[in-house]
Formats: sequence, structure tokens, C-alpha cells
Amino acid sequence: MIFNDHILKPFINQIHKDLNAFCINEKYYSYAKFSQRIATIAKYLEESDELRIGLITNDHLDTYASILAIWIIGKTYVPINPDAPPARNQNIIDQVGIKTILDSKKTIKLNSVDFETSIKVLKQYSLESNYSDQLAYILFTSGSTGNPKGVKISFKNLASFIEAFLKTGFVLDHTDKCLQCFDLTFDVSIQSFLVPLIHGACVYTVPSDQIKYSYVFGLLDDHKLTFGIFAPSMIHFLKPYFDEIYLPQLRYCILTAEASPIDLVKEWAKCIPNAKISNFYGPTEATIYCTYFHVNLRKKLKGANGVLAIGQPFKGISIVILDENLRPVEKGQKGEMFVSGNQVTEGYWDNLELNKEVFVVFDYKGSPQRFYKTGDLCMEDEDGDILYYGRRDNQVKINGYRIELGEIEFHARASIDGKNAIAFIYQGQTGRNEIALCLETKNFNKNAILKTLQATLPSYMRPTKIFNLEKFPLNKSDKVDKNAIIKRFNFI
Amino acid sequence: MERDQILEKIKIIVVSVLEHDDFDMKDELVATDVSGWDSLTHMIIITSIENEFKIKFRLKELNKLKNMGTLIELVQSKL
Repeated sequence: MIFNDHILKPFINQIHKDLNAFCINEKYYSYAKFSQRIATIAKYLEESDELRIGLITNDHLDTYASILAIWIIGKTYVPINPDAPPARNQNIIDQVGIKTILDSKKTIKLNSVDFETSIKVLKQYSLESNYSDQLAYILFTSGSTGNPKGVKISFKNLASFIEAFLKTGFVLDHTDKCLQCFDLTFDVSIQSFLVPLIHGACVYTVPSDQIKYSYVFGLLDDHKLTFGIFAPSMIHFLKPYFDEIYLPQLRYCILTAEASPIDLVKEWAKCIPNAKISNFYGPTEATIYCTYFHVNLRKKLKGANGVLAIGQPFKGISIVILDENLRPVEKGQKGEMFVSGNQVTEGYWDNLELNKEVFVVFDYKGSPQRFYKTGDLCMEDEDGDILYYGRRDNQVKINGYRIELGEIEFHARASIDGKNAIAFIYQGQTGRNEIALCLETKNFNKNAILKTLQATLPSYMRPTKIFNLEKFPLNKSDKVDKNAIIKRFNFI
Repeated sequence: MERDQILEKIKIIVVSVLEHDDFDMKDELVATDVSGWDSLTHMIIITSIENEFKIKFRLKELNKLKNMGTLIELVQSKL
């Protein structure tokens, strides 16, 4: 009953109230209208015996209604971005064997059931919806083999996330106005719309044809939004304008999706003087987020290599930091983070080999538990807060020395006034591994940077190639696209 | 400066940032009509326009831009 108790019932409790559920493209949609669309699409879907439903991620009320409709009848949605390369989408459709695809351009033609009927339909489903191990969604992320890999998230995973997330200290009500600026193929989008919807709050979306950072600022400023979830890269776009951004009505600011630079957070905090800022960490495999760190601006911000701490595990999540032999490291030592708990996926879609590799069972507190191997390098400090050191595969060896690229990036950033920097390995003329450094800046003085790095890094850690890009490319999830940077480097 | 001159200068900037001229430079032009015009290149185009005309945009002005026509008018109002 966990899905019903934590998601469906709290949502149904809102629909009688005269409140807006969504603001999409400057148009408001009430909870009543939203419920009617959910019930309409649910009835339409009932005719199909397909379990897994593709969903075209248009910025449209029916897209969100489709997600809820799919869920209340216990089916699974697989988001498909209409702007993604068709071959990639076809790969996903083929992998899962999807036959039914919902597209708001077509569902819009379904005549809405009336409000009374929609309530009856939702309540009836609510009685039957004791879903647990059934899948709520499958999200595809890029795979090292070239094929995207599908992460299977069950209703139990999702409901456990919602329950644990609310215990981290967020109190919302019907007066809240919440930003949803994430692509629906990325799991932070689910938190962005679902948490408001179970509190009677209004969700403000970002049309895909808009320049995102500019439109997001417009929403925050014009509509006085109170709750925002942001990727730090997007805030970075706003940085040149920080002196004219003042958003006193923002109550909560969640930073997530990638490492949060402490300097950026400090500057951004001045624009949002009344907001409680929190850093959330989590791989898709552990359902949206699994650790959190509340920022206290009166104290020195805790972090590693200039990146904000990721803090404490969610309730119900166990985290261990292990060495290469799967033995726990001492407190204060770096290791790989392993995550266990009800939020952890049962595995990747149809990928036995990878599942064997990244899900491991070992004894924890006296009983065998299943853990997900995150590939993230972390350390627990004396307060029990987890510090983030980047990807494990960001660790490289040169001439036998173990090197953290994050450390090079940290010192590089310091030498260019806090702007972003990415370090990576390339094969030099001699065929040996060397370090290249890309700076996110228009102009730079190579000699001055080399001097700074000489002053801070041992010789084996210094980059042999330094170049710049005025702006770093971002991927669909608004993270810096390191692969795209390396591709550009190969052209130089 | 004449409107046509502003339009011509902006066109040169957009072509140089996006590295193609596969678009029709009319008032109704919007970013999604132009291949490669995303958040990243938008930022670069805006900064280049600021440098070319020696003007500074405010964020509040930028997020109200509807299309090329409103961009040209905004530049003109600052000269």
C-alpha cells in the first residue's frame, strides 16, 4: 500500500480544492482539470494490455496526466524525448518492446470525462493500487557499451523515495509555487512535479523551445516561485546577472544533478536571501536522491576540492564506503560509495552482465544486503557527513602515480577566478597518458595558469595541453558534457 | 544606427557563432527555428552582441525577448 499511502491518496486529497496544479506556457490548469485528464487517459489505456507505455515528453498537461494515469493502473512509463536522435529512441523502444506510445498531440483528442466521473475513477483505482514491485518507470541513461541502459524503478522504490525525501525537512502547502525545469527523461523531473502535486502546490514548467536559464529566471521573478530545484550548471549561466537577481520569496533551493561548486553556491545565496539551500546527491539507480546536505551559510561551507558536501543518507538508505577489495575504509579515508535500501533498483533492463557487475551482496550489520556500486569516490568526515570527490573513473594513473582529476580541476578553477575547468586524459605524442585541461573562459593567460599549477601540483599532475571554450557544452540533464569537450579537443 | 544595419551586424554574429547561415533573418525568427541555437550558443551570441554594440543587456530584458524583431528593437533602444 506504500504507493497508495505516500503518493496517490495525498494527491487525491487535493483535487476537490479550488487550486491550480500546473502553469504551462503561462496557462494555468486546475487540479480538477488535471484529474479529468488523468481519468480520461487511464480509461483509454485500460483497453490496452500493454504493461510498458512509451511517453513522448512534450511540455503539455496531458504528458503529466499520462504519467499519473499510467501509475494509477499499475503500468510503467518509459519517457521518450522527441528531440533525441530517432535511432536512440528506436533502440529504447526495441529494448523494452514498447507497442503503445502516448503523445499529447494525440491524447488531446480524447474527450474529457466529467469531474464527478474522474473522482470516482481515481478513488476506485486508489482502492486497488497496492502496487509495490511493479515498475513505475524505466529511465534510460547512456551506457559505456554504446547502447543506452534502462534503470527499472518500482512503485516501492518511488514511494520509499517520497517518504524519505519529505523527512529531510521540506514543509510544503497549497500556496507553494514550484519549478519543474528538468527534462522528463531525467529523474529529478519526477521529484519536481510529484512533491508539489501531493501538497496541492502549483508546478511551473519550462517549454522545450525556450532558452532555459532565461525562461527559468522569468518564472522565478514574475511568478514569485517558492521552491526551485536546479542543476548548478544552469545557475552558472545566470552568474553574469547575479547583481540584478533578487528572489526573496524563494523558500527552498535544491542543488542537484552534479557537483555543486562552493564558490558558486555562496554567490547564488545572495540572490535568494530567504531560501534554505540544500545539496542533494543520488544516482538514478537509487531513485532520484539518496543523500542530502543542508547548507548553513553562517558556517564555513563543508566540501572537498571546492565541491559542496553531499551530507547524510536518506532514512532507509545505508551507505558504505569501501576500498578496492570491498573492505570498509577508515573514517577520513576515500573509497567508493555503495548504496543499499528500498530505493535501490532491482537492476537494469535485460542486462544480466552489468547487473552482476554493479549490484553486490555482502554482510552489513549482521545480515546480507544488496548494494549498488555507484562508481563515486567519497569520504565520510568526523561529523558523519559524506564528501564527494568525483567519479571513480576520474581517478587516473600516470607514471604509476594515482591522480584525482578533481584536484587538478580545483586548482585550475582557482587560477581563473572560480570559472569551471575540466581535466581529462589523452594519449600524448609518445603514446603515454597525459593530462589535458579545458577552461571555461573566453581568454586566459597560459603562462600565468601554468605558474599557479606549478605552485600547487606535483609535476606528474600538471596538464601538458591547456585550451579554452567560452562556454562548456551541457548534456540533456544539464550536466557539463565532458565527452563533448574531449571531442572538441580532438579537433584542435 | 538604422534598423537594417543592426540586423546585418547581428546576422554576422549569429552566423559566426553557429557556423552556418541556414536561417531566414526575419523579425519572426525564434531560436528553435535555427539549428544549434541553444542555451550555450545563446549566451555566446548575447555576449557578442553586447561587445559589438558596446551595450549591456539586463536579464529582465533578455527573458522578455520573443524573437529576432524584439532583439533588434532592444539593441536599438540602447544605442
